[in-house]
Amino acid sequence: MSEKNISSILKSVAKPGRYIGGEFNQIIKNKENIKCRFAFCFPDTYEIGMSNLGVRILYDCLNKSEDIWCERVYAPWTDMKEKMQEYSIPLCAIESGDPLKSFDIVGFSLHYELCYTTVLAMLKLANIPVWSKDRGEDCPIILAGGPCVFNVEPVADFFDVVNVGEGEQMLLDISNLYIKMKEEEKYSRESFLHEVAKINGVYVPSLYDVSYNPDGTIKEYKPKYSDIPTRITKRIVEDMDTAPYPEKFVMPYIETVHDRIVLETYRGCIRGCRFCQAGMIYRPIREKSPETLNKLAKCLYENTGYDEISLISLSISDYSRLPELTDKLLSWTDEAKVSLSLPSLRIDSFSEELMKKVSSVRTGGLTFAPEAGTQRLRDVINKNVTEEDLMRAVNIAFRGGKSNVKLYFMNGLPTETNEDIKGISDLAKNVIEAYFALPKQERPRGIGVTVSVACFVPKPFTPFQWEKQDSMEELKRKQQYLKECITDKRIKYNYHDAEVSRIEAVLARGDRRLAKAIALLVEEGAMLDAWEEYFDYGKWIDAFSRTGVDPDFYTVRGFGLDEVLPWDIIDCGVTKEYLRRERDRAYAEKTTPSCMEQCNGCGANKLGGKNRWCK
Amino acid sequence: MVQVDSNTPLNIRIKFKKVGSLQYISHLDLVRTMSKIIVRSKLPLWYTEGFNPKPKMVFAAPLSIGTESLTEFCDIRLNERVSEEFVKEAINNNTTKELEVIEAYYPETKLTDMKWLSYDILIKTDSADAELAAKCVKTLMSDKVLVEKTNKNKETVTVNIREQIKSIEGSFDGENILLRCVLSAESSSFLNPEYLIKVLKREHGILSCGDLLREYYSISRIIAYKADMTEFK
Repeated sequence: MSEKNISSILKSVAKPGRYIGGEFNQIIKNKENIKCRFAFCFPDTYEIGMSNLGVRILYDCLNKSEDIWCERVYAPWTDMKEKMQEYSIPLCAIESGDPLKSFDIVGFSLHYELCYTTVLAMLKLANIPVWSKDRGEDCPIILAGGPCVFNVEPVADFFDVVNVGEGEQMLLDISNLYIKMKEEEKYSRESFLHEVAKINGVYVPSLYDVSYNPDGTIKEYKPKYSDIPTRITKRIVEDMDTAPYPEKFVMPYIETVHDRIVLETYRGCIRGCRFCQAGMIYRPIREKSPETLNKLAKCLYENTGYDEISLISLSISDYSRLPELTDKLLSWTDEAKVSLSLPSLRIDSFSEELMKKVSSVRTGGLTFAPEAGTQRLRDVINKNVTEEDLMRAVNIAFRGGKSNVKLYFMNGLPTETNEDIKGISDLAKNVIEAYFALPKQERPRGIGVTVSVACFVPKPFTPFQWEKQDSMEELKRKQQYLKECITDKRIKYNYHDAEVSRIEAVLARGDRRLAKAIALLVEEGAMLDAWEEYFDYGKWIDAFSRTGVDPDFYTVRGFGLDEVLPWDIIDCGVTKEYLRRERDRAYAEKTTPSCMEQCNGCGANKLGGKNRWCK
Repeated sequence: MVQVDSNTPLNIRIKFKKVGSLQYISHLDLVRTMSKIIVRSKLPLWYTEGFNPKPKMVFAAPLSIGTESLTEFCDIRLNERVSEEFVKEAINNNTTKELEVIEAYYPETKLTDMKWLSYDILIKTDSADAELAAKCVKTLMSDKVLVEKTNKNKETVTVNIREQIKSIEGSFDGENILLRCVLSAESSSFLNPEYLIKVLKREHGILSCGDLLREYYSISRIIAYKADMTEFK
């Protein structure tokens, strides 16, 4: 990873296989012929980053261009970070071993708010100034993409360019503009940033001034030039069948989180759960055809040797041609000893037939997400599953030999009462009863039910975006209350750290005034905050108070319905009016049918897209 | 592809190298990597029966992280006989330069016939000279070569590893100390060459400056031997 002989350093750190590169299918190009060196950074470890589908797609997509060489960069673990600092080894790209600073464009995938400190720590390790305004002509263009950019404001001042939406074409447009301006000798940071801001989906934070009202809320966003958009509309890929998708995966030598073939079946979601950001920001729904997917699967199998294919989407049973796809795949996967896995199965779609198709997959458990304990609250969040659905699903699961059921819930949802919390424990109890109601010969031995409860974070671009987050005390009280409700020893109960959820909420809902706090944390050594062992709530609160940030402003306060929201600068397709309607329906405890049943007028169809549900 | 008998599973052996950055992946990772390589290579693999069918591979003498090797062995079970050249080529088309097959053949020996392995150890240390090289050899060839090991009960015990050392040759190339060691490869008495470094650190204070870029060592496995010290194949 560097010109220095670092073999003895690699021997001194844990899991040195993270840093070596050289994997089968990695892409090496001749530097002489390259007009744009692109470093694709994932602000987490190699094992996490290598599993990220977005990185895989865009790595392939950029490298298909002759003029661009896209390489991978991951965050070092803290032991390696210390060694790099001690021996003055800058952060380098995996493929070439060249320092990040020598690249033309350095892009970060923002997949989780708590990775922000890691982004800055990586820039520091690369000797690149963390603030956009401090970067000179010798610095690469620092770019951000990924789901967190739908409210990128807390880190907006660190990035030169932000990609809003799907990057396949957008990253090529940006790179090609860079190449063109360099070739025509028109390039300077300033002129490039102005030009790039005109590309669809591109947001250049430094070209927008933000002003605030006396009460601390945002007054307005004002573009610095008249020829750049006042609001940035999310970019999408129109046709998923012709969209680039890798036919090869870089094969990690060491074990990664999702070490298998992943097939993206469709983008978007027809459901409209009111807490779910992914369900809104990836709209409209666009499917890949079973033919395309089957062809890709075969190709990937031959080029990787993996023995598992995972069908990826937000809710796999909503893929309109799932039976056709699984039949096509099963026609050759059995013989090739390849198993299928279907994550993200909805309770109401779980069937015996479906389970049989994936039965070749390992034994063990199934996971369902009722999200809330009572029908009332499930109606509020528009989950649209009933207790009957769950009971039917677990019965099939038990009969099919699965003995472990994992149930996901959330605490702190709007309108939640003690009754709803107790409902979680009742639901879990009923699952156990359903097990014992089955004749002995029809159920597997030993039952385990795990109840896993997250804390609700009101996310941008959801009908709950205006909601307040429960205070930490309230969240902890609720967690404790549920603990008391669960008396059955066969129910395993675990819950998310309320402190993490609170920081998550601040970062997800924050504005540009948070940047100083994040920079301060990194200045003092923060990194890998997404890892429990490195997350330090006290340090976050301390950094907020030292930089004049009141976390309550972004959490327990809630946002006014007429307030300018930090993410109003982005148009994700779904309109504010729709979100507002859905919010009203939530409080009226009214559900909304899926996009398959009727069009609810969310507005995302204006973005275009082929093979979509909505008209 | 020459097909002789399609019913009896048989083993083909590959001799391969694991060098360069591949020295940093663990044995477990090597096993996972190799299983994907042989699937990509489209060999007529024999799969284990049962719920979770896997190709069958057996490796000889696992390497520890940080040791290179020019002489690794793996037996792969096939459903039918295919030409040795085909296997070598198919695998090499599906792996990287640092994990390349040197030879593929239908073995006449068992993997357990491998009894000794030779290693080249290069030591770059501040005090390196011909005299130190000679001292190192003397220490490792003396009657008692004591190291601390953890036994099954997780207790630290001191053991004499002299029996597991067949021979040590030392030299000084003007900059580095080079040791050629022949160590036990038998599973019951396998000796990890890292232990020799530990002994030399303790006895001669080598590699003690703390600067990992100034002082370092590297280990490469070179040749495998049978009990009679002819090359294992």
